[in-house]
Amino acid sequence: MRILLISIFLFSFSHAQSGLLDVVWPKPNLKQQKPSIPYPSVLTQGIKNTALPIYIPSNYAYDKKMIVVAEQNFYAISFLLDGAIINISGDKTYQETISSENPEFSAITKNTAPVEYNKAEGIVTANFNKHNVNYILSIECDDPESDQRCTISMVSTLYSKLIMVGGKQ
Amino acid sequence: MKNKLLKVLLALSISLFYTSCSKQDVKPHEGKKFSYYPPGILKPSLSGIGRKGDNYIYAPGIRFPLESAPAYINSQVYGIGGYLGPQGSLCDNRNYQYPWSDNYCEKRSWKMPLCHGGKGHQGVDIRSSSCEKKKYYAVAVENGVISSIGKYTVTLRGVSGRTYRYLHLDPNSLQIRRGQQIRRSQRIGLVSDYMGKTKTSIHLHFDMQQTIKIGNRSKKVFVPPYSSLIDAYKRLLQGRP
Repeated sequence: MRILLISIFLFSFSHAQSGLLDVVWPKPNLKQQKPSIPYPSVLTQGIKNTALPIYIPSNYAYDKKMIVVAEQNFYAISFLLDGAIINISGDKTYQETISSENPEFSAITKNTAPVEYNKAEGIVTANFNKHNVNYILSIECDDPESDQRCTISMVSTLYSKLIMVGGKQ
Repeated sequence: MKNKLLKVLLALSISLFYTSCSKQDVKPHEGKKFSYYPPGILKPSLSGIGRKGDNYIYAPGIRFPLESAPAYINSQVYGIGGYLGPQGSLCDNRNYQYPWSDNYCEKRSWKMPLCHGGKGHQGVDIRSSSCEKKKYYAVAVENGVISSIGKYTVTLRGVSGRTYRYLHLDPNSLQIRRGQQIRRSQRIGLVSDYMGKTKTSIHLHFDMQQTIKIGNRSKKVFVPPYSSLIDAYKRLLQGRP
Protein backbone atom coordinates (compact mmCIF):
# COMPACT_ATOMS: atom_id res chain seq x y z
CA MET A 1 0.00 0.00 0.00
CA ARG A 2 2.83 2.33 0.93
CA ILE A 3 4.59 1.62 -2.38
CA LEU A 4 1.38 2.43 -4.22
CA LEU A 5 1.14 5.73 -2.36
CA ILE A 6 4.76 6.56 -3.14
CA SER A 7 4.21 5.74 -6.81
CA ILE A 8 1.24 8.07 -6.95
CA PHE A 9 3.26 10.66 -5.03
CA LEU A 10 6.07 10.46 -7.59
CA PHE A 11 3.75 10.44 -10.53
CA SER A 12 2.12 13.63 -9.39
CA PHE A 13 5.55 15.31 -9.35
CA SER A 14 5.62 15.14 -13.14
CA HIS A 15 4.28 18.67 -13.30
CA ALA A 16 6.69 19.99 -10.67
CA GLN A 17 7.30 23.70 -10.81
CA SER A 18 8.59 26.33 -8.45
CA GLY A 19 7.23 29.76 -7.69
CA LEU A 20 6.02 32.19 -5.06
CA LEU A 21 3.19 31.70 -2.63
CA ASP A 22 0.52 34.40 -2.57
CA VAL A 23 0.88 36.13 0.77
CA VAL A 24 -2.41 36.86 2.48
CA TRP A 25 -1.47 40.00 4.34
CA PRO A 26 -3.06 40.41 7.75
CA LYS A 27 -5.14 43.42 8.62
CA PRO A 28 -3.33 45.84 10.93
CA ASN A 29 -3.50 44.60 14.49
CA LEU A 30 -4.68 47.63 16.39
CA LYS A 31 -4.22 45.82 19.68
CA GLN A 32 -0.51 45.34 19.11
CA GLN A 33 1.26 48.06 20.99
CA LYS A 34 3.48 50.26 18.88
CA PRO A 35 7.11 49.94 19.87
CA SER A 36 7.97 52.58 22.46
CA ILE A 37 11.39 52.92 20.91
CA PRO A 38 12.35 52.07 17.34
CA TYR A 39 13.52 48.56 16.63
CA PRO A 40 17.28 48.25 16.13
CA SER A 41 18.46 49.39 12.71
CA VAL A 42 20.00 45.96 12.05
CA LEU A 43 16.40 44.73 11.97
CA THR A 44 14.65 47.58 10.17
CA GLN A 45 17.35 47.98 7.53
CA GLY A 46 17.71 44.25 7.06
CA ILE A 47 14.08 43.56 6.36
CA LYS A 48 13.00 46.67 4.50
CA ASN A 49 12.89 44.93 1.11
CA THR A 50 11.57 41.61 2.30
CA ALA A 51 8.13 40.95 0.85
CA LEU A 52 6.58 38.81 3.55
CA PRO A 53 5.37 39.35 7.12
CA ILE A 54 8.39 39.30 9.44
CA TYR A 55 7.85 37.62 12.80
CA ILE A 56 10.28 37.53 15.70
CA PRO A 57 9.89 36.69 19.40
CA SER A 58 8.96 39.88 21.24
CA ASN A 59 11.48 39.11 24.02
CA TYR A 60 14.33 39.73 21.59
CA ALA A 61 12.91 42.53 19.46
CA TYR A 62 15.44 45.04 20.80
CA ASP A 63 18.46 42.78 20.73
CA LYS A 64 21.01 44.81 18.79
CA LYS A 65 23.21 41.75 18.33
CA MET A 66 20.62 39.91 16.30
CA ILE A 67 21.84 38.71 12.91
CA VAL A 68 19.51 39.38 10.03
CA VAL A 69 19.74 37.59 6.71
CA ALA A 70 17.02 38.90 4.44
CA GLU A 71 16.18 38.60 0.79
CA GLN A 72 13.07 39.52 -1.11
CA ASN A 73 11.28 36.23 -0.51
CA PHE A 74 13.02 34.91 2.54
CA TYR A 75 14.44 35.96 5.88
CA ALA A 76 16.30 34.36 8.77
CA ILE A 77 17.04 36.12 12.04
CA SER A 78 19.31 34.65 14.70
CA PHE A 79 19.59 35.63 18.35
CA LEU A 80 22.83 34.53 19.97
CA LEU A 81 22.46 33.58 23.61
CA ASP A 82 24.91 32.09 26.00
CA GLY A 83 25.20 28.46 24.84
CA ALA A 84 22.12 28.57 22.62
CA ILE A 85 20.94 30.09 19.38
CA ILE A 86 17.38 31.02 18.49
CA ASN A 87 16.57 31.28 14.82
CA ILE A 88 13.41 32.23 13.00
CA SER A 89 12.97 32.08 9.25
CA GLY A 90 10.12 32.75 6.85
CA ASP A 91 9.91 31.74 3.23
CA LYS A 92 7.32 32.49 0.56
CA THR A 93 8.83 30.31 -2.18
CA TYR A 94 7.91 26.79 -3.14
CA GLN A 95 9.97 24.30 -5.10
CA GLU A 96 7.44 21.66 -6.13
CA THR A 97 3.79 21.62 -7.02
CA ILE A 98 1.97 18.37 -6.74
CA SER A 99 -1.49 17.32 -7.68
CA SER A 100 -4.22 17.65 -5.09
CA GLU A 101 -5.13 14.06 -6.03
CA ASN A 102 -1.92 12.90 -4.40
CA PRO A 103 -3.20 10.96 -1.37
CA GLU A 104 0.02 10.97 0.64
CA PHE A 105 0.73 14.67 0.52
CA SER A 106 -2.91 15.60 0.63
CA ALA A 107 -3.16 13.76 3.95
CA ILE A 108 0.01 15.40 5.26
CA THR A 109 -1.17 18.91 4.52
CA LYS A 110 -4.76 18.32 5.63
CA ASN A 111 -3.64 16.95 8.98
CA THR A 112 -1.24 19.79 9.63
CA ALA A 113 -1.75 21.47 12.99
CA PRO A 114 -1.49 25.27 13.08
CA VAL A 115 1.92 24.82 14.68
CA GLU A 116 3.97 21.63 14.79
CA TYR A 117 6.59 21.14 17.49
CA ASN A 118 9.45 18.71 17.12
CA LYS A 119 12.80 17.88 18.65
CA ALA A 120 15.16 16.27 16.15
CA GLU A 121 18.96 16.06 16.14
CA GLY A 122 18.79 17.89 19.46
CA ILE A 123 17.18 20.95 17.85
CA VAL A 124 13.69 22.03 18.91
CA THR A 125 11.47 23.57 16.28
CA ALA A 126 8.06 25.08 15.78
CA ASN A 127 6.91 24.91 12.15
CA PHE A 128 3.91 26.95 11.19
CA ASN A 129 2.17 28.56 8.27
CA LYS A 130 0.74 32.06 8.61
CA HIS A 131 -0.58 34.27 5.82
CA ASN A 132 0.32 31.46 3.39
CA VAL A 133 4.03 31.75 4.34
CA ASN A 134 6.01 28.92 5.94
CA TYR A 135 7.98 29.74 9.07
CA ILE A 136 10.40 27.80 11.27
CA LEU A 137 11.32 28.86 14.78
CA SER A 138 14.19 26.86 16.25
CA ILE A 139 16.46 26.64 19.29
CA GLU A 140 19.81 24.90 19.15
CA CYS A 141 21.88 24.36 22.29
CA ASP A 142 25.42 23.40 23.22
CA ASP A 143 23.96 20.74 25.45
CA PRO A 144 20.67 19.77 23.82
CA GLU A 145 19.93 16.96 26.26
CA SER A 146 20.02 18.98 29.45
CA ASP A 147 19.68 22.66 28.47
CA GLN A 148 16.15 23.67 29.47
CA ARG A 149 16.03 26.11 26.59
CA CYS A 150 16.15 23.23 24.11
CA THR A 151 12.71 21.98 25.07
CA ILE A 152 9.32 21.97 23.39
CA SER A 153 8.03 23.99 26.31
CA MET A 154 10.53 26.78 25.61
CA VAL A 155 9.93 26.89 21.87
CA SER A 156 6.16 26.96 22.41
CA THR A 157 6.59 29.88 24.81
CA LEU A 158 8.62 31.73 22.19
CA TYR A 159 6.01 30.90 19.56
CA SER A 160 3.30 32.43 21.72
CA LYS A 161 5.34 35.64 21.93
CA LEU A 162 5.89 36.17 18.23
CA ILE A 163 5.15 39.61 16.93
CA MET A 164 5.09 40.95 13.41
CA VAL A 165 7.72 43.64 13.02
CA GLY A 166 7.57 44.45 9.34
CA GLY A 167 7.42 43.26 5.77
CA LYS A 168 7.07 44.98 2.41
CA GLN A 169 3.58 44.62 1.06
CA MET B 1 -11.60 10.84 -17.46
CA LYS B 2 -9.46 8.80 -19.87
CA ASN B 3 -6.37 10.69 -18.66
CA LYS B 4 -7.24 9.96 -15.04
CA LEU B 5 -7.63 6.27 -15.82
CA LEU B 6 -4.28 6.21 -17.59
CA LYS B 7 -2.64 7.93 -14.60
CA VAL B 8 -4.08 5.39 -12.18
CA LEU B 9 -3.00 2.48 -14.42
CA LEU B 10 0.51 3.87 -14.69
CA ALA B 11 0.74 4.37 -10.91
CA LEU B 12 -0.51 0.81 -10.40
CA SER B 13 2.02 -0.67 -12.81
CA ILE B 14 4.86 1.27 -11.14
CA SER B 15 3.74 0.01 -7.76
CA LEU B 16 3.45 -3.59 -9.03
CA PHE B 17 6.95 -3.32 -10.45
CA TYR B 18 8.36 -2.18 -7.12
CA THR B 19 6.35 -4.75 -5.21
CA SER B 20 7.80 -7.52 -7.39
CA CYS B 21 11.30 -6.09 -6.84
CA SER B 22 10.79 -5.98 -3.10
CA LYS B 23 10.10 -9.70 -2.96
CA GLN B 24 13.63 -10.45 -4.12
CA ASP B 25 16.90 -9.66 -2.41
CA VAL B 26 17.82 -6.18 -3.41
CA LYS B 27 21.26 -6.12 -4.96
CA PRO B 28 23.33 -2.97 -5.06
CA HIS B 29 23.92 -1.21 -8.35
CA GLU B 30 27.45 -2.14 -9.29
CA GLY B 31 29.68 0.32 -11.06
CA LYS B 32 33.35 0.32 -11.90
CA LYS B 33 34.15 2.69 -9.09
CA PHE B 34 31.06 2.93 -6.97
CA SER B 35 28.06 0.85 -5.94
CA TYR B 36 24.95 1.60 -3.98
CA TYR B 37 21.71 0.09 -2.82
CA PRO B 38 18.64 1.72 -4.38
CA PRO B 39 16.94 4.63 -2.63
CA GLY B 40 14.72 3.57 0.25
CA ILE B 41 16.54 0.28 0.93
CA LEU B 42 17.83 0.64 4.47
CA LYS B 43 20.65 -1.55 5.76
CA PRO B 44 20.33 -3.44 8.00
CA SER B 45 16.64 -3.93 7.35
CA LEU B 46 15.84 -3.62 11.05
CA SER B 47 17.03 -0.01 10.89
CA GLY B 48 13.69 1.10 9.54
CA ILE B 49 11.46 1.36 6.51
CA GLY B 50 12.67 3.65 3.78
CA ARG B 51 10.81 5.22 0.89
CA LYS B 52 11.32 2.24 -1.37
CA GLY B 53 10.66 3.19 -4.97
CA ASP B 54 11.11 6.90 -4.43
CA ASN B 55 13.89 7.53 -6.95
CA TYR B 56 12.84 11.10 -7.60
CA ILE B 57 15.75 13.54 -7.70
CA TYR B 58 14.43 16.33 -5.51
CA ALA B 59 17.49 18.54 -5.96
CA PRO B 60 18.68 18.01 -9.52
CA GLY B 61 22.17 19.18 -10.38
CA ILE B 62 23.43 19.85 -6.85
CA ARG B 63 27.07 19.36 -6.06
CA PHE B 64 28.06 16.54 -3.73
CA PRO B 65 28.40 18.08 -0.22
CA LEU B 66 31.88 16.69 0.43
CA GLU B 67 34.75 18.19 -1.51
CA SER B 68 36.43 14.91 -2.37
CA ALA B 69 35.68 11.25 -3.00
CA PRO B 70 35.50 8.61 -1.80
CA ALA B 71 32.67 9.17 0.62
CA TYR B 72 30.31 6.66 2.12
CA ILE B 73 26.62 6.96 2.86
CA ASN B 74 25.57 4.39 5.44
CA SER B 75 24.10 4.15 8.90
CA GLN B 76 25.93 5.69 11.86
CA VAL B 77 23.53 4.15 14.35
CA TYR B 78 23.31 0.62 12.94
CA GLY B 79 26.79 0.45 11.38
CA ILE B 80 29.75 -1.20 13.11
CA GLY B 81 30.43 0.59 16.38
CA GLY B 82 27.14 2.47 16.20
CA TYR B 83 25.11 2.44 19.37
CA LEU B 84 22.62 -0.04 17.90
CA GLY B 85 25.08 -1.71 15.55
CA PRO B 86 27.48 -4.66 15.80
CA GLN B 87 30.26 -4.26 18.33
CA GLY B 88 33.46 -2.83 16.99
CA SER B 89 35.17 0.37 16.12
CA LEU B 90 33.42 3.22 14.37
CA CYS B 91 36.59 3.35 12.30
CA ASP B 92 36.19 -0.25 11.12
CA ASN B 93 37.09 -0.49 7.41
CA ARG B 94 33.69 -1.99 6.67
CA ASN B 95 32.11 1.36 7.49
CA TYR B 96 34.29 2.90 4.80
CA GLN B 97 33.25 0.72 1.88
CA TYR B 98 30.71 0.70 -0.91
CA PRO B 99 27.89 -0.05 -1.45
CA TRP B 100 26.14 2.98 -0.09
CA SER B 101 22.86 2.50 1.71
CA ASP B 102 20.14 5.06 2.23
CA ASN B 103 19.46 6.12 5.82
CA TYR B 104 16.77 8.76 5.25
CA CYS B 105 13.78 7.59 7.34
CA GLU B 106 16.01 5.37 9.50
CA LYS B 107 14.33 4.80 12.88
CA ARG B 108 14.26 7.87 15.07
CA SER B 109 11.93 9.06 17.78
CA TRP B 110 11.03 12.33 16.10
CA LYS B 111 8.35 13.37 13.63
CA MET B 112 8.96 13.07 9.90
CA PRO B 113 5.80 13.20 7.80
CA LEU B 114 7.30 11.53 4.71
CA CYS B 115 8.50 8.47 6.66
CA HIS B 116 6.65 5.29 7.53
CA GLY B 117 4.68 5.85 10.73
CA GLY B 118 5.40 9.57 10.57
CA LYS B 119 8.80 9.29 12.28
CA GLY B 120 12.37 8.94 11.08
CA HIS B 121 15.73 10.39 10.11
CA GLN B 122 15.44 13.72 8.33
CA GLY B 123 18.50 13.37 6.10
CA VAL B 124 21.44 11.10 5.38
CA ASP B 125 24.71 10.50 7.20
CA ILE B 126 27.85 10.61 5.11
CA ARG B 127 31.30 9.39 6.13
CA SER B 128 34.28 11.05 4.50
CA SER B 129 37.19 9.17 2.86
CA SER B 130 38.71 7.98 6.12
CA CYS B 131 37.95 7.93 9.83
CA GLU B 132 39.82 11.15 10.57
CA LYS B 133 38.13 14.26 11.85
CA LYS B 134 38.94 17.82 10.75
CA LYS B 135 40.50 16.62 7.50
CA TYR B 136 37.81 16.67 4.83
CA TYR B 137 35.84 19.71 3.75
CA ALA B 138 32.10 19.98 3.36
CA VAL B 139 31.23 22.32 0.50
CA ALA B 140 28.25 24.25 -0.80
CA VAL B 141 25.93 22.16 -2.93
CA GLU B 142 24.69 25.22 -4.81
CA ASN B 143 25.05 29.00 -4.81
CA GLY B 144 23.23 30.65 -1.94
CA VAL B 145 23.46 32.39 1.38
CA ILE B 146 24.45 31.10 4.80
CA SER B 147 21.17 31.77 6.53
CA SER B 148 22.20 30.55 9.97
CA ILE B 149 25.01 29.01 11.94
CA GLY B 150 23.81 27.19 15.02
CA LYS B 151 25.84 25.47 17.70
CA TYR B 152 26.59 22.50 15.41
CA THR B 153 24.52 23.25 12.31
CA VAL B 154 25.24 25.34 9.25
CA THR B 155 22.27 26.19 7.06
CA LEU B 156 22.61 27.13 3.42
CA ARG B 157 19.65 28.60 1.64
CA GLY B 158 20.24 27.88 -2.02
CA VAL B 159 19.16 30.10 -4.90
CA SER B 160 16.70 27.33 -5.75
CA GLY B 161 14.89 28.14 -2.49
CA ARG B 162 15.86 24.80 -0.96
CA THR B 163 17.44 24.79 2.48
CA TYR B 164 20.38 22.49 3.15
CA ARG B 165 21.70 21.71 6.62
CA TYR B 166 25.21 20.53 7.42
CA LEU B 167 25.61 19.08 10.93
CA HIS B 168 28.65 18.19 13.04
CA LEU B 169 31.28 20.30 11.29
CA ASP B 170 34.18 21.41 13.44
CA PRO B 171 33.11 24.89 14.64
CA ASN B 172 36.66 26.23 14.59
CA SER B 173 37.09 25.27 10.96
CA LEU B 174 34.15 27.18 9.51
CA GLN B 175 35.14 29.15 6.42
CA ILE B 176 31.89 31.10 6.24
CA ARG B 177 29.90 33.61 8.29
CA ARG B 178 26.21 34.25 8.77
CA GLY B 179 24.69 36.14 5.85
CA GLN B 180 27.58 35.39 3.52
CA GLN B 181 26.77 34.73 -0.13
CA ILE B 182 28.61 31.61 -1.17
CA ARG B 183 29.26 29.83 -4.43
CA ARG B 184 28.70 26.19 -5.29
CA SER B 185 31.74 24.10 -4.22
CA GLN B 186 32.92 26.77 -1.76
CA ARG B 187 34.31 25.31 1.44
CA ILE B 188 32.07 25.47 4.50
CA GLY B 189 33.97 23.57 7.19
CA LEU B 190 35.65 20.33 8.16
CA VAL B 191 33.72 17.14 8.83
CA SER B 192 33.93 16.22 12.49
CA ASP B 193 32.00 14.66 15.36
CA TYR B 194 30.80 17.86 16.98
CA MET B 195 27.34 18.01 18.50
CA GLY B 196 27.92 20.31 21.43
CA LYS B 197 28.24 18.25 24.58
CA THR B 198 26.52 15.25 23.02
CA LYS B 199 28.71 12.55 21.57
CA THR B 200 28.41 11.46 17.96
CA SER B 201 30.55 9.77 15.32
CA ILE B 202 32.68 11.45 12.65
CA HIS B 203 30.28 12.17 9.84
CA LEU B 204 28.33 14.80 8.01
CA HIS B 205 24.58 14.80 8.52
CA PHE B 206 23.13 16.39 5.41
CA ASP B 207 19.49 17.19 4.83
CA MET B 208 17.34 19.18 2.44
CA GLN B 209 14.11 21.04 3.03
CA GLN B 210 11.81 22.35 0.39
CA THR B 211 8.33 23.73 0.22
CA ILE B 212 5.75 21.65 -1.57
CA LYS B 213 2.56 23.27 -2.76
CA ILE B 214 -0.63 21.32 -3.13
CA GLY B 215 -3.72 23.25 -4.14
CA ASN B 216 -3.83 26.35 -1.98
CA ARG B 217 -1.83 24.75 0.82
CA SER B 218 1.91 24.40 1.21
CA LYS B 219 4.30 22.76 3.60
CA LYS B 220 8.03 22.82 4.14
CA VAL B 221 9.33 19.27 4.47
CA PHE B 222 12.58 17.35 4.64
CA VAL B 223 12.76 15.57 1.29
CA PRO B 224 14.82 12.47 0.50
CA PRO B 225 18.38 13.48 -0.47
CA TYR B 226 19.78 10.06 -1.42
CA SER B 227 18.88 10.02 -5.15
CA SER B 228 20.17 13.56 -5.61
CA LEU B 229 23.41 12.57 -3.88
CA ILE B 230 23.91 9.47 -6.05
CA ASP B 231 23.56 11.68 -9.09
CA ALA B 232 25.93 14.31 -7.64
CA TYR B 233 28.49 11.71 -6.60
CA LYS B 234 28.61 10.15 -10.06
CA ARG B 235 29.43 13.59 -11.45
CA LEU B 236 32.08 14.10 -8.77
CA LEU B 237 33.70 10.77 -9.72
CA GLN B 238 33.66 11.81 -13.37
CA GLY B 239 35.53 14.98 -12.46
CA ARG B 240 32.65 17.36 -13.15
CA PRO B 241 31.23 18.17 -9.74
